[in-house]
Amino acid sequence: MATTRSDRAFVDKFPHEAAIVKATFLVAFVALGIGAFFGLIQALHRTNVLRVIESADYYTMLTGHGVLLAIVFTIFFLCGVFHWAVARSLNRPAESRLFSWAWVGLMTTGTVLTTVAILGGLVPNLGMSADVLFTFYAPLQAHPLFYIGLAMFIVGTWLAGADWFLSYRAWRANNSGERIPLQTFMVLTTMIMWYVSTIGVAVSVVFFLIPWSLGLIESVNPLLTRTLFWYFGHPIVYFWLMPAYLMWYTVLPKLAGGRLFSDPLARVVFLLFLLLSTPVGIHHQYLDPGIAEGFKFIAMTNTMFLLLPSLLTAFTVVASMEHGARQRGGKGYVRWLGALPWRDPAFTGMALAGAMFAAGGFSGMINAGMNINYLIHNTLWVPGHFHLTVGTAVALTMMAGSYWLVPQVTGTKLYSRPIGLLQVIMWFVGMVFMSNAMHRAGLAGIPRRTAEPQYQNFEFLTPIGSIFELRVQIALGGTLLFLSVVLFLFNILLTSLGDESDRPVDAALPEPLSGPEGSPRILDNLAMWTGIAALLVILAYTLPLAGIIQNGGGLFGGGLPVPATLSAGLDFVVVTVSSAFNTLLGVIA
Amino acid sequence: MKFTKARALVLIAFSVPLAIELRTVAGFFNVELPLIAVAVIEFLFLALLFVLYGLYGEGSESPA
Repeated sequence: MATTRSDRAFVDKFPHEAAIVKATFLVAFVALGIGAFFGLIQALHRTNVLRVIESADYYTMLTGHGVLLAIVFTIFFLCGVFHWAVARSLNRPAESRLFSWAWVGLMTTGTVLTTVAILGGLVPNLGMSADVLFTFYAPLQAHPLFYIGLAMFIVGTWLAGADWFLSYRAWRANNSGERIPLQTFMVLTTMIMWYVSTIGVAVSVVFFLIPWSLGLIESVNPLLTRTLFWYFGHPIVYFWLMPAYLMWYTVLPKLAGGRLFSDPLARVVFLLFLLLSTPVGIHHQYLDPGIAEGFKFIAMTNTMFLLLPSLLTAFTVVASMEHGARQRGGKGYVRWLGALPWRDPAFTGMALAGAMFAAGGFSGMINAGMNINYLIHNTLWVPGHFHLTVGTAVALTMMAGSYWLVPQVTGTKLYSRPIGLLQVIMWFVGMVFMSNAMHRAGLAGIPRRTAEPQYQNFEFLTPIGSIFELRVQIALGGTLLFLSVVLFLFNILLTSLGDESDRPVDAALPEPLSGPEGSPRILDNLAMWTGIAALLVILAYTLPLAGIIQNGGGLFGGGLPVPATLSAGLDFVVVTVSSAFNTLLGVIA
Repeated sequence: MKFTKARALVLIAFSVPLAIELRTVAGFFNVELPLIAVAVIEFLFLALLFVLYGLYGEGSESPA
């Protein structure tokens, strides 16, 4: 039987959802272009290859680069992917078009305000700056517009999540006994994790940073705002990664010519991320004296558990790819790799992103180890690490996924597969050069967040090669990465301007080899998993936060922070609870 | 299985991290490999790929 385009193309079946996805992708890609340009300027500046800006403006560029790429590009893109995934997997449109446009509008307005505040730093007479970097905790202070824009952006993501939960509730009303479709399950667990984790940054921004920047309060407790930031700052890594995982689990096997190896395993992975992503943020604060070593040790242990879902993912995704290769005639223990569809930029980009994520995972283990972290803390090693994770595993997967998703929401064919292939390869090679040199420079002690890491009468030493080579590597890598983004945007622009096609892309996703039927239904009990996630957060953060407030001079600071111990935090909680209990008894009596 | 341009590109991509880390690996065995040596090895690898592509690539007659 002949199939019309309406049977296949997402844009024909869900035109309004496709419009939302296009809008989110548009903002994401504009942010990608600007952020990548700032990245090129930084790479050339700090390596002293070409300095076109003042070193003081480097930090404006660095803030713009971090916020536009790590927050705006990634989150707008994942909102588009999630909107597509929920409509596709539940086979129903969103409950309210107006509501969908409301969160897109709120996020976009927040982005514009935040970007204006950052770029204001380039115009000295404006009296506006937000050179607070992506990690925007105190004592660095930004213009209030920066924080207000960020708050609007975060609320926009909450509304987006509500949109998808409303779709799920409406679907559930008609499908009471059904298992949650896998893609929707992934979206909902990710959003629950996001709700739990953004509480920290919301409290920090609304109660401390906005009043402080407006002059309503004189001071804040810097360690408290740092801890609240990292309470959100580590799970945001998984907010970036989980959409990439969604594509690796549900799209990559199809592109490889096969099927997902195990649906239940994918559900377990997403639940583990929901449970373990948030109670680990203190591993970013190993060198903060105001947090007791014991809490840091607990955070390290939890972090090591987080390796499990990533290792499960590596197994499942590689098994799915091997299945696909063997369906395409692949043979042997290793030779099957040659049967994979390397011509397809969507497949190749995602596969290369997964390969680099393995390297990023290894360097992440160094970051997570309490003692070995001291070796690389605040060095260029750390940007080297996260350019492998968010900068490649996430960003390259998103760009590669665009080659498959954009034709679905525009109804046009991809403009050029060879350009797409060259683009993803160029990103891989560029990132190899840059992140490898960053890691090695970090081992040599070269600091991060520094415009001019060249000092008089002091030379950094490397065990192999020279600092000059590392600088050239970083500059070369940064240039290749920027060119790769230019190619990507060029390809996507011409794709969206192309003529409509009867069959823009094969959008069907096959059923998994092992479906959800045999797995425990408790996996779908989202209320229970949310409760456990909240409990783990309470256990991990109550005592450290109590200690930080007690030792740092209260909620709004003012005192001198003192080194913390486990017993001091515990004493504070006991005294606070006891006095509250005595007060309650007094009221009752 | 034909040796396609796409496979050649992917092989070149994977050769870059191997070449970059070659000196580190050699260092484990107390062999100090100069940068120029790595560049020559990478160049020879690319030349080999070029020859193989000419022999077994998409435009060639021979079955590979």
